[in-house]
Amino acid sequence: MAAINCPTPASLSAYIRQQEINSRRRQALLPSPETILRYGAIVGSVIQCHASMARTMDQARHHISELEQTGGSVASGTVILADTLIRSKGRFARTWHAPAGGLWGCLILADTFLPRARTILPLTLGIACCEAVRALGADQACVRWVNDVLFGGQKLAGFLVESFRNPHHGEDFHLLGFGININNNCFPDILENSAISLSRILGGPVNLHDFTLSFLAKMAWNIGLLAYAEQQELERGSDCNEESHLLIEQWKKLSDTVGRRVVYGYDIQQKPLYEARVIGIRPDGALVMQLADGHEIIEHSGELQYL
Amino acid sequence: MSEEIDFDAILGKYHSDPYDYVDICATHTGRISFRIAEGDVVNSPRGEWLHILGSPLFEITRERNQKLVTAKTNGTISSVRTELEGQFVEAGEKLLTIRHPLKKKEVIESILKEVLYLFPAPERAKYFFSLDIQSRIEKKGASALIIKPGDEIIIMSLMKRDTPIYYSGEAGVIHSVYFSPGVSVDQGQPLIGVCASDKLHLIQKVITRVKADWDKLVDPAHLEEG
Repeated sequence: MAAINCPTPASLSAYIRQQEINSRRRQALLPSPETILRYGAIVGSVIQCHASMARTMDQARHHISELEQTGGSVASGTVILADTLIRSKGRFARTWHAPAGGLWGCLILADTFLPRARTILPLTLGIACCEAVRALGADQACVRWVNDVLFGGQKLAGFLVESFRNPHHGEDFHLLGFGININNNCFPDILENSAISLSRILGGPVNLHDFTLSFLAKMAWNIGLLAYAEQQELERGSDCNEESHLLIEQWKKLSDTVGRRVVYGYDIQQKPLYEARVIGIRPDGALVMQLADGHEIIEHSGELQYL
Repeated sequence: MSEEIDFDAILGKYHSDPYDYVDICATHTGRISFRIAEGDVVNSPRGEWLHILGSPLFEITRERNQKLVTAKTNGTISSVRTELEGQFVEAGEKLLTIRHPLKKKEVIESILKEVLYLFPAPERAKYFFSLDIQSRIEKKGASALIIKPGDEIIIMSLMKRDTPIYYSGEAGVIHSVYFSPGVSVDQGQPLIGVCASDKLHLIQKVITRVKADWDKLVDPAHLEEG
Protein backbone atom coordinates (compact mmCIF):
# COMPACT_ATOMS: atom_id res chain seq x y z
CA MET A 1 0.00 0.00 0.00
CA ALA A 2 1.37 3.41 -0.94
CA ALA A 3 1.84 6.10 1.66
CA ILE A 4 -0.63 8.99 1.64
CA ASN A 5 1.65 11.64 3.15
CA CYS A 6 4.51 11.83 0.65
CA PRO A 7 6.59 15.01 0.85
CA THR A 8 9.80 14.95 -1.17
CA PRO A 9 13.17 16.66 -0.70
CA ALA A 10 12.31 18.84 -3.71
CA SER A 11 8.96 19.94 -2.25
CA LEU A 12 10.64 20.67 1.09
CA SER A 13 13.31 22.69 -0.65
CA ALA A 14 10.69 24.69 -2.54
CA TYR A 15 8.72 25.29 0.68
CA ILE A 16 11.86 26.58 2.40
CA ARG A 17 12.61 28.93 -0.50
CA GLN A 18 9.05 30.21 -0.89
CA GLN A 19 7.77 30.24 2.70
CA GLU A 20 10.33 29.67 5.41
CA ILE A 21 12.95 32.18 4.30
CA ASN A 22 10.34 34.94 4.07
CA SER A 23 8.81 34.21 7.44
CA ARG A 24 12.25 34.13 9.05
CA ARG A 25 13.23 37.39 7.38
CA ARG A 26 10.45 39.06 9.31
CA GLN A 27 12.03 37.85 12.56
CA ALA A 28 15.02 40.10 11.92
CA LEU A 29 17.65 37.87 13.45
CA LEU A 30 21.29 38.82 13.07
CA PRO A 31 22.38 36.37 10.37
CA SER A 32 20.36 36.15 7.20
CA PRO A 33 17.76 33.35 7.03
CA GLU A 34 19.65 31.87 4.10
CA THR A 35 22.75 31.55 6.26
CA ILE A 36 20.94 29.71 9.04
CA LEU A 37 19.01 27.48 6.66
CA ARG A 38 22.20 26.58 4.84
CA TYR A 39 23.48 25.11 8.10
CA GLY A 40 20.27 23.09 8.48
CA ALA A 41 19.96 22.11 4.82
CA ILE A 42 20.64 18.44 5.53
CA VAL A 43 17.21 18.05 7.14
CA GLY A 44 15.00 16.19 4.67
CA SER A 45 17.80 15.55 2.18
CA VAL A 46 16.24 12.07 1.91
CA ILE A 47 12.59 11.43 2.80
CA GLN A 48 11.22 7.91 3.04
CA CYS A 49 7.43 7.62 3.12
CA HIS A 50 5.66 4.46 4.29
CA ALA A 51 2.01 3.57 4.68
CA SER A 52 2.56 1.62 7.88
CA MET A 53 5.36 0.22 10.01
CA ALA A 54 6.06 -0.89 13.55
CA ARG A 55 8.25 2.00 14.70
CA THR A 56 10.12 4.60 12.68
CA MET A 57 13.00 4.59 15.22
CA ASP A 58 13.49 0.85 14.63
CA GLN A 59 13.31 1.43 10.88
CA ALA A 60 15.98 4.13 11.23
CA ARG A 61 18.34 1.76 13.08
CA HIS A 62 17.71 -0.95 10.51
CA HIS A 63 18.28 1.49 7.66
CA ILE A 64 21.60 2.74 9.08
CA SER A 65 22.86 -0.79 9.73
CA GLU A 66 21.71 -2.14 6.39
CA LEU A 67 23.39 0.64 4.43
CA GLU A 68 26.65 0.30 6.30
CA GLN A 69 26.66 -3.47 5.90
CA THR A 70 26.63 -2.99 2.16
CA GLY A 71 29.44 -0.45 2.28
CA GLY A 72 27.15 2.59 2.08
CA SER A 73 26.41 5.35 4.53
CA VAL A 74 23.14 6.88 5.58
CA ALA A 75 22.53 10.49 4.59
CA SER A 76 22.45 12.66 7.69
CA GLY A 77 19.09 14.43 7.70
CA THR A 78 17.17 11.43 6.36
CA VAL A 79 13.51 11.55 7.41
CA ILE A 80 11.38 8.43 7.76
CA LEU A 81 7.62 8.98 7.78
CA ALA A 82 4.76 6.54 8.25
CA ASP A 83 1.02 7.16 7.94
CA THR A 84 0.39 4.79 10.85
CA LEU A 85 2.56 3.07 13.42
CA ILE A 86 1.67 -0.33 14.79
CA ARG A 87 3.96 -0.59 17.82
CA SER A 88 4.85 3.01 18.52
CA LYS A 89 6.09 3.82 21.98
CA GLY A 90 7.04 6.75 24.09
CA ARG A 91 9.76 6.90 26.72
CA PHE A 92 10.29 3.95 29.04
CA ALA A 93 7.66 1.34 28.15
CA ARG A 94 4.83 3.77 27.36
CA THR A 95 2.69 3.15 24.33
CA TRP A 96 2.01 5.92 21.82
CA HIS A 97 -1.24 5.99 19.88
CA ALA A 98 -0.34 6.60 16.19
CA PRO A 99 -3.30 6.07 13.85
CA ALA A 100 -3.79 7.57 10.38
CA GLY A 101 -4.02 11.35 10.27
CA GLY A 102 -1.08 12.18 12.52
CA LEU A 103 2.50 13.05 11.68
CA TRP A 104 4.70 10.18 12.81
CA GLY A 105 8.34 9.94 11.93
CA CYS A 106 12.01 10.04 12.71
CA LEU A 107 14.86 12.30 11.65
CA ILE A 108 18.34 10.76 11.48
CA LEU A 109 21.25 13.06 12.27
CA ALA A 110 24.89 11.99 12.35
CA ASP A 111 26.41 12.99 15.67
CA THR A 112 28.64 15.84 14.55
CA PHE A 113 27.70 18.09 17.47
CA LEU A 114 29.87 19.28 20.33
CA PRO A 115 28.63 18.46 23.86
CA ARG A 116 26.65 21.66 24.44
CA ALA A 117 24.75 21.44 21.14
CA ARG A 118 24.17 17.73 21.71
CA THR A 119 22.65 18.48 25.11
CA ILE A 120 20.10 20.96 23.81
CA LEU A 121 19.39 19.13 20.53
CA PRO A 122 16.07 17.72 21.88
CA LEU A 123 14.76 21.29 22.26
CA THR A 124 14.74 21.74 18.47
CA LEU A 125 11.77 19.37 18.11
CA GLY A 126 9.48 21.19 20.53
CA ILE A 127 10.43 24.57 19.13
CA ALA A 128 9.90 23.54 15.49
CA CYS A 129 6.56 21.91 16.25
CA CYS A 130 5.30 24.84 18.32
CA GLU A 131 6.33 27.28 15.59
CA ALA A 132 4.54 25.20 12.91
CA VAL A 133 1.39 24.90 15.01
CA ARG A 134 1.31 28.60 15.87
CA ALA A 135 1.83 29.47 12.20
CA LEU A 136 -1.56 27.87 11.53
CA GLY A 137 -3.26 30.00 14.16
CA ALA A 138 -3.00 27.89 17.32
CA ASP A 139 -1.33 30.76 19.14
CA GLN A 140 -1.82 29.31 22.60
CA ALA A 141 0.30 26.24 21.90
CA CYS A 142 3.28 26.18 24.25
CA VAL A 143 6.33 24.07 24.91
CA ARG A 144 6.57 22.31 28.25
CA TRP A 145 10.13 21.47 29.32
CA VAL A 146 11.84 19.60 27.73
CA ASN A 147 9.95 19.50 24.44
CA ASP A 148 6.31 18.47 24.84
CA VAL A 149 3.91 20.70 22.95
CA LEU A 150 0.65 21.38 24.79
CA PHE A 151 -2.49 23.29 23.96
CA GLY A 152 -4.77 24.19 26.86
CA GLY A 153 -2.98 21.67 29.04
CA GLN A 154 -3.53 18.83 26.58
CA LYS A 155 -0.72 17.14 24.75
CA LEU A 156 -0.51 17.90 21.07
CA ALA A 157 2.90 16.42 20.37
CA GLY A 158 5.57 14.32 22.00
CA PHE A 159 9.17 13.68 21.01
CA LEU A 160 11.78 11.12 21.76
CA VAL A 161 15.48 11.39 21.04
CA GLU A 162 17.58 8.26 21.10
CA SER A 163 21.21 7.85 20.18
CA PHE A 164 22.37 4.90 18.14
CA ARG A 165 25.86 3.57 17.52
CA ASN A 166 26.24 1.62 14.35
CA PRO A 167 27.70 -1.78 15.26
CA HIS A 168 29.78 -1.99 12.08
CA HIS A 169 31.74 1.26 12.13
CA GLY A 170 30.88 2.64 15.55
CA GLU A 171 29.48 5.88 14.11
CA ASP A 172 26.98 7.63 16.36
CA PHE A 173 23.62 8.94 15.20
CA HIS A 174 20.78 10.81 16.85
CA LEU A 175 17.30 9.55 16.06
CA LEU A 176 14.78 12.33 16.62
CA GLY A 177 11.36 10.72 16.86
CA PHE A 178 8.27 12.88 16.45
CA GLY A 179 4.59 12.24 17.01
CA ILE A 180 2.20 15.12 16.31
CA ASN A 181 -1.57 14.77 16.51
CA ILE A 182 -2.87 16.47 13.36
CA ASN A 183 -6.11 15.01 11.98
CA ASN A 184 -6.33 11.99 14.29
CA ASN A 185 -9.26 13.06 16.43
CA CYS A 186 -10.11 9.81 18.17
CA PHE A 187 -8.02 8.93 21.18
CA PRO A 188 -8.21 5.90 23.47
CA ASP A 189 -10.31 6.57 26.58
CA ILE A 190 -7.21 6.85 28.73
CA LEU A 191 -5.91 9.73 26.58
CA GLU A 192 -9.20 11.47 25.82
CA ASN A 193 -8.72 14.20 28.40
CA SER A 194 -4.97 14.57 28.11
CA ALA A 195 -4.42 14.55 24.33
CA ILE A 196 -5.61 16.87 21.59
CA SER A 197 -5.19 17.13 17.83
CA LEU A 198 -4.46 20.20 15.73
CA SER A 199 -7.68 19.75 13.73
CA ARG A 200 -9.70 19.82 16.96
CA ILE A 201 -7.96 23.04 17.94
CA LEU A 202 -8.51 24.68 14.57
CA GLY A 203 -12.02 23.27 14.11
CA GLY A 204 -11.35 21.55 10.78
CA PRO A 205 -8.98 19.25 8.93
CA VAL A 206 -5.39 20.29 8.41
CA ASN A 207 -3.41 19.68 5.22
CA LEU A 208 -1.01 17.03 6.55
CA HIS A 209 1.36 17.34 3.61
CA ASP A 210 1.73 21.10 4.07
CA PHE A 211 2.11 20.76 7.82
CA THR A 212 4.84 18.16 7.33
CA LEU A 213 6.74 20.55 5.06
CA SER A 214 6.32 23.37 7.56
CA PHE A 215 7.52 21.23 10.48
CA LEU A 216 10.54 19.91 8.57
CA ALA A 217 11.41 23.41 7.33
CA LYS A 218 11.34 24.64 10.93
CA MET A 219 13.47 21.68 11.97
CA ALA A 220 15.95 22.71 9.27
CA TRP A 221 15.93 26.22 10.72
CA ASN A 222 16.43 25.14 14.33
CA ILE A 223 19.09 22.53 13.51
CA GLY A 224 20.72 25.26 11.45
CA LEU A 225 20.54 27.63 14.42
CA LEU A 226 22.22 25.00 16.58
CA ALA A 227 25.03 24.46 14.07
CA TYR A 228 25.43 28.21 13.45
CA ALA A 229 25.69 28.94 17.17
CA GLU A 230 28.21 26.15 17.52
CA GLN A 231 30.37 27.64 14.80
CA GLN A 232 30.15 31.09 16.40
CA GLU A 233 31.32 29.61 19.71
CA LEU A 234 34.20 27.84 18.00
CA GLU A 235 35.25 31.04 16.23
CA ARG A 236 35.17 32.91 19.53
CA GLY A 237 37.17 30.08 21.11
CA SER A 238 34.53 29.75 23.80
CA ASP A 239 32.41 26.79 24.75
CA CYS A 240 31.16 28.45 27.91
CA ASN A 241 27.87 26.94 29.04
CA GLU A 242 27.08 30.07 31.03
CA GLU A 243 26.51 32.16 27.90
CA SER A 244 23.07 32.58 26.42
CA HIS A 245 22.25 30.40 23.41
CA LEU A 246 20.10 31.38 20.39
CA LEU A 247 18.08 28.18 20.67
CA ILE A 248 17.42 28.62 24.39
CA GLU A 249 16.24 32.17 23.76
CA GLN A 250 13.80 30.93 21.12
CA TRP A 251 12.62 28.16 23.45
CA LYS A 252 11.89 30.72 26.17
CA LYS A 253 9.64 32.66 23.78
CA LEU A 254 7.53 29.58 23.11
CA SER A 255 7.40 27.97 26.53
CA ASP A 256 5.08 28.57 29.46
CA THR A 257 7.10 26.44 31.88
CA VAL A 258 8.90 29.21 33.77
CA GLY A 259 6.73 30.45 36.60
CA ARG A 260 4.57 27.32 36.77
CA ARG A 261 4.05 25.10 39.80
CA VAL A 262 4.97 21.59 38.75
CA VAL A 263 5.43 18.03 39.83
CA TYR A 264 8.85 16.76 38.83
CA GLY A 265 9.82 13.16 38.30
CA TYR A 266 12.33 11.18 36.37
CA ASP A 267 9.46 8.99 35.19
CA ILE A 268 6.54 11.23 36.09
CA GLN A 269 3.87 8.59 35.47
CA GLN A 270 5.48 5.87 37.56
CA LYS A 271 7.28 7.88 40.18
CA PRO A 272 6.53 11.58 40.69
CA LEU A 273 9.17 12.92 43.05
CA TYR A 274 8.45 16.42 44.29
CA GLU A 275 6.51 19.65 43.78
CA ALA A 276 8.28 22.89 43.00
CA ARG A 277 7.98 26.19 41.19
CA VAL A 278 10.01 26.65 38.01
CA ILE A 279 12.04 29.82 38.33
CA GLY A 280 14.27 29.65 35.28
CA ILE A 281 16.06 27.88 32.48
CA ARG A 282 19.83 27.81 32.44
CA PRO A 283 21.79 28.50 29.26
CA ASP A 284 22.46 24.76 29.00
CA GLY A 285 18.72 24.03 29.03
CA ALA A 286 18.62 22.80 32.63
CA LEU A 287 15.51 23.55 34.66
CA VAL A 288 15.87 25.67 37.80
CA MET A 289 13.16 25.07 40.39
CA GLN A 290 12.43 26.30 43.88
CA LEU A 291 11.21 23.84 46.49
CA ALA A 292 8.76 24.68 49.25
CA ASP A 293 11.66 25.14 51.70
CA GLY A 294 13.07 27.90 49.48
CA HIS A 295 16.07 25.95 48.21
CA GLU A 296 16.81 25.78 44.52
CA ILE A 297 17.21 22.55 42.62
CA ILE A 298 18.55 22.13 39.08
CA GLU A 299 17.53 19.25 36.84
CA HIS A 300 19.04 18.33 33.48
CA SER A 301 16.72 15.45 32.83
CA GLY A 302 13.27 14.28 33.77
CA GLU A 303 9.64 15.21 33.19
CA LEU A 304 7.09 17.70 34.46
CA GLN A 305 3.40 17.88 35.08
CA TYR A 306 1.83 21.28 35.56
CA LEU A 307 -0.22 21.85 38.73
CA MET B 1 41.62 -10.74 40.87
CA SER B 2 43.93 -13.07 42.76
CA GLU B 3 42.46 -16.09 44.55
CA GLU B 4 44.53 -15.05 47.55
CA ILE B 5 43.44 -11.89 49.32
CA ASP B 6 45.47 -10.62 52.23
CA PHE B 7 42.54 -9.50 54.37
CA ASP B 8 44.75 -8.47 57.26
CA ALA B 9 46.78 -6.16 55.02
CA ILE B 10 43.68 -4.59 53.49
CA LEU B 11 41.90 -4.10 56.81
CA GLY B 12 45.12 -2.94 58.44
CA LYS B 13 45.45 -0.21 55.83
CA TYR B 14 41.98 1.12 56.55
CA HIS B 15 42.47 0.67 60.31
CA SER B 16 45.63 2.74 60.37
CA ASP B 17 44.13 5.48 58.22
CA PRO B 18 40.32 5.17 58.04
CA TYR B 19 39.90 8.16 55.73
CA ASP B 20 39.42 8.88 52.09
CA TYR B 21 41.42 11.80 50.73
CA VAL B 22 39.34 13.61 48.14
CA ASP B 23 41.27 15.96 45.88
CA ILE B 24 39.24 18.91 44.59
CA CYS B 25 40.40 20.28 41.26
CA ALA B 26 39.47 23.30 39.14
CA THR B 27 36.42 22.43 37.05
CA HIS B 28 37.57 24.79 34.33
CA THR B 29 40.06 27.58 33.83
CA GLY B 30 39.52 30.67 35.94
CA ARG B 31 40.61 32.87 38.82
CA ILE B 32 40.39 31.27 42.26
CA SER B 33 39.13 32.69 45.53
CA PHE B 34 39.12 30.24 48.43
CA ARG B 35 36.29 30.19 50.96
CA ILE B 36 37.91 27.72 53.38
CA ALA B 37 41.13 27.25 55.30
CA GLU B 38 43.09 24.19 56.37
CA GLY B 39 41.38 22.44 59.29
CA ASP B 40 37.89 23.68 58.45
CA VAL B 41 35.08 21.15 58.67
CA VAL B 42 32.93 20.97 55.54
CA ASN B 43 29.52 19.40 54.97
CA SER B 44 28.21 17.45 52.01
CA PRO B 45 24.87 18.26 50.29
CA ARG B 46 21.78 17.62 52.41
CA GLY B 47 18.01 17.44 52.05
CA GLU B 48 15.68 14.81 50.64
CA TRP B 49 16.88 15.53 47.10
CA LEU B 50 20.38 16.52 48.17
CA HIS B 51 19.36 19.96 47.01
CA ILE B 52 20.87 21.89 49.94
CA LEU B 53 24.38 22.64 48.79
CA GLY B 54 27.44 21.50 50.65
CA SER B 55 29.87 23.94 52.28
CA PRO B 56 31.35 26.57 49.94
CA LEU B 57 34.94 25.66 48.97
CA PHE B 58 36.01 28.29 46.45
CA GLU B 59 34.82 30.65 43.75
CA ILE B 60 36.14 30.35 40.23
CA THR B 61 35.66 33.21 37.78
CA ARG B 62 35.96 32.89 34.02
CA GLU B 63 34.93 35.53 31.51
CA ARG B 64 33.08 37.46 34.25
CA ASN B 65 31.08 34.35 35.15
CA GLN B 66 31.52 33.65 38.84
CA LYS B 67 30.82 30.13 40.02
CA LEU B 68 30.73 28.91 43.60
CA VAL B 69 32.02 25.38 44.03
CA THR B 70 30.68 23.52 47.05
CA ALA B 71 31.68 20.35 48.86
CA LYS B 72 30.25 17.07 47.58
CA THR B 73 31.67 15.14 50.55
CA ASN B 74 31.92 15.86 54.24
CA GLY B 75 35.18 15.96 56.18
CA THR B 76 38.02 18.23 57.15
CA ILE B 77 40.14 20.34 54.84
CA SER B 78 43.53 18.65 55.05
CA SER B 79 45.38 20.87 52.60
CA VAL B 80 44.77 24.05 50.61
CA ARG B 81 47.03 25.46 47.91
CA THR B 82 46.83 28.96 49.33
CA GLU B 83 49.50 30.13 46.90
CA LEU B 84 46.80 29.95 44.20
CA GLU B 85 44.55 32.49 45.93
CA GLY B 86 43.60 35.15 43.38
CA GLN B 87 45.55 33.33 40.67
CA PHE B 88 44.38 32.07 37.28
CA VAL B 89 44.45 28.28 37.14
CA GLU B 90 44.00 25.72 34.38
CA ALA B 91 41.20 23.17 34.36
CA GLY B 92 42.13 20.13 36.44
CA GLU B 93 44.59 21.98 38.71
CA LYS B 94 44.43 20.49 42.22
CA LEU B 95 43.23 23.12 44.68
CA LEU B 96 42.56 21.40 47.99
CA THR B 97 42.02 18.06 49.69
CA ILE B 98 39.16 16.96 51.94
CA ARG B 99 39.87 14.23 54.49
CA HIS B 100 36.67 12.24 54.62
CA PRO B 101 36.08 9.80 57.53
CA LEU B 102 34.99 6.43 56.15
CA LYS B 103 31.97 4.52 57.40
CA LYS B 104 31.98 0.73 57.47
CA LYS B 105 29.77 0.60 54.38
CA GLU B 106 32.13 2.96 52.58
CA VAL B 107 35.12 0.81 53.56
CA ILE B 108 33.45 -2.24 52.03
CA GLU B 109 32.63 -0.25 48.90
CA SER B 110 36.13 1.13 48.78
CA ILE B 111 37.68 -2.34 49.00
CA LEU B 112 35.25 -3.67 46.43
CA LYS B 113 36.13 -0.83 44.09
CA GLU B 114 39.70 -2.09 44.20
CA VAL B 115 38.72 -5.60 43.18
CA LEU B 116 35.74 -5.05 40.86
CA TYR B 117 35.86 -3.76 37.31
CA LEU B 118 34.27 -0.31 37.53
CA PHE B 119 32.31 0.86 34.50
CA PRO B 120 32.32 4.68 34.45
CA ALA B 121 29.63 7.22 33.51
CA PRO B 122 30.51 8.79 30.13
CA GLU B 123 28.79 12.12 30.94
CA ARG B 124 27.12 13.81 33.88
CA ALA B 125 23.58 12.53 33.39
CA LYS B 126 20.92 10.25 34.80
CA TYR B 127 21.15 6.54 34.18
CA PHE B 128 18.83 3.56 34.22
CA PHE B 129 19.16 -0.06 33.17
CA SER B 130 17.90 -0.90 29.70
CA LEU B 131 14.45 -2.46 29.79
CA ASP B 132 15.78 -5.91 28.92
CA ILE B 133 18.48 -5.85 31.61
CA GLN B 134 16.06 -4.41 34.17
CA SER B 135 13.52 -7.17 33.60
CA ARG B 136 16.24 -9.85 33.81
CA ILE B 137 17.55 -8.35 37.06
CA GLU B 138 14.02 -8.30 38.49
CA LYS B 139 13.43 -11.92 37.52
CA LYS B 140 16.74 -13.51 38.47
CA GLY B 141 18.83 -10.92 40.32
CA ALA B 142 21.92 -9.13 39.09
CA SER B 143 24.27 -11.91 40.18
CA ALA B 144 22.60 -14.34 37.76
CA LEU B 145 23.11 -11.98 34.87
CA ILE B 146 26.34 -12.21 32.89
CA ILE B 147 27.24 -9.16 30.83
CA LYS B 148 29.92 -9.01 28.18
CA PRO B 149 31.55 -6.28 26.06
CA GLY B 150 29.16 -4.80 23.52
CA ASP B 151 26.02 -5.51 25.54
CA GLU B 152 23.57 -2.61 25.76
CA ILE B 153 23.17 -2.44 29.51
CA ILE B 154 22.36 1.10 30.58
CA ILE B 155 20.50 4.08 29.16
CA MET B 156 21.95 7.52 29.72
CA SER B 157 19.31 10.23 29.86
CA LEU B 158 20.13 13.90 29.42
CA MET B 159 17.56 16.51 28.43
CA LYS B 160 15.19 13.76 27.23
CA ARG B 161 17.85 12.33 24.94
CA ASP B 162 18.25 8.65 25.72
CA THR B 163 21.55 7.10 24.75
CA PRO B 164 22.23 3.39 25.06
CA ILE B 165 25.51 2.69 26.82
CA TYR B 166 27.38 -0.37 25.64
CA TYR B 167 29.40 -2.29 28.18
CA SER B 168 33.12 -2.30 27.46
CA GLY B 169 34.76 -4.05 30.40
CA GLU B 170 35.54 -7.62 31.26
CA ALA B 171 32.67 -10.14 31.15
CA GLY B 172 31.06 -10.91 34.47
CA VAL B 173 28.12 -10.34 36.77
CA ILE B 174 26.91 -6.99 38.03
CA HIS B 175 27.92 -7.06 41.66
CA SER B 176 27.45 -3.42 42.66
CA VAL B 177 25.17 -0.74 41.27
CA TYR B 178 26.32 2.81 42.04
CA PHE B 179 23.48 4.77 40.45
CA SER B 180 19.82 5.28 41.26
CA PRO B 181 17.24 6.12 38.59
CA GLY B 182 16.58 9.83 38.75
CA VAL B 183 19.83 10.80 40.47
CA SER B 184 22.54 12.47 38.40
CA VAL B 185 25.93 10.78 38.19
CA ASP B 186 29.06 12.83 37.48
CA GLN B 187 31.21 11.99 34.49
CA GLY B 188 33.79 9.33 35.35
CA GLN B 189 32.02 8.10 38.47
CA PRO B 190 31.35 4.34 38.47
CA LEU B 191 27.93 3.15 37.35
CA ILE B 192 28.38 -0.54 38.08
CA GLY B 193 31.02 -2.84 39.55
CA VAL B 194 31.45 -6.07 37.62
CA CYS B 195 33.03 -9.29 38.82
CA ALA B 196 33.95 -12.43 36.90
CA SER B 197 31.36 -15.02 37.94
CA ASP B 198 33.97 -17.47 39.23
CA LYS B 199 35.34 -14.79 41.55
CA LEU B 200 32.06 -13.93 43.23
CA HIS B 201 32.86 -16.05 46.27
CA LEU B 202 35.97 -13.94 46.89
CA ILE B 203 33.90 -10.78 46.87
CA GLN B 204 31.53 -12.30 49.40
CA LYS B 205 34.54 -13.20 51.53
CA VAL B 206 35.67 -9.56 51.50
CA ILE B 207 32.28 -8.34 52.65
CA THR B 208 31.92 -10.98 55.37
CA ARG B 209 35.43 -10.40 56.67
CA VAL B 210 35.11 -6.63 56.80
CA LYS B 211 31.76 -6.84 58.53
CA ALA B 212 33.14 -9.28 61.09
CA ASP B 213 36.46 -7.59 61.78
CA TRP B 214 35.84 -3.92 61.29
CA ASP B 215 34.19 -3.18 64.59
CA LYS B 216 36.93 -5.04 66.43
CA LEU B 217 39.66 -3.16 64.60
CA VAL B 218 38.34 0.36 64.75
CA ASP B 219 37.58 2.49 67.73
CA PRO B 220 33.76 2.78 67.58
CA ALA B 221 33.95 6.35 68.80
CA HIS B 222 35.99 7.24 65.76
CA LEU B 223 33.67 6.10 63.05
CA GLU B 224 30.05 6.53 62.30
CA GLU B 225 28.26 3.25 61.65
CA GLY B 226 27.63 2.73 57.92
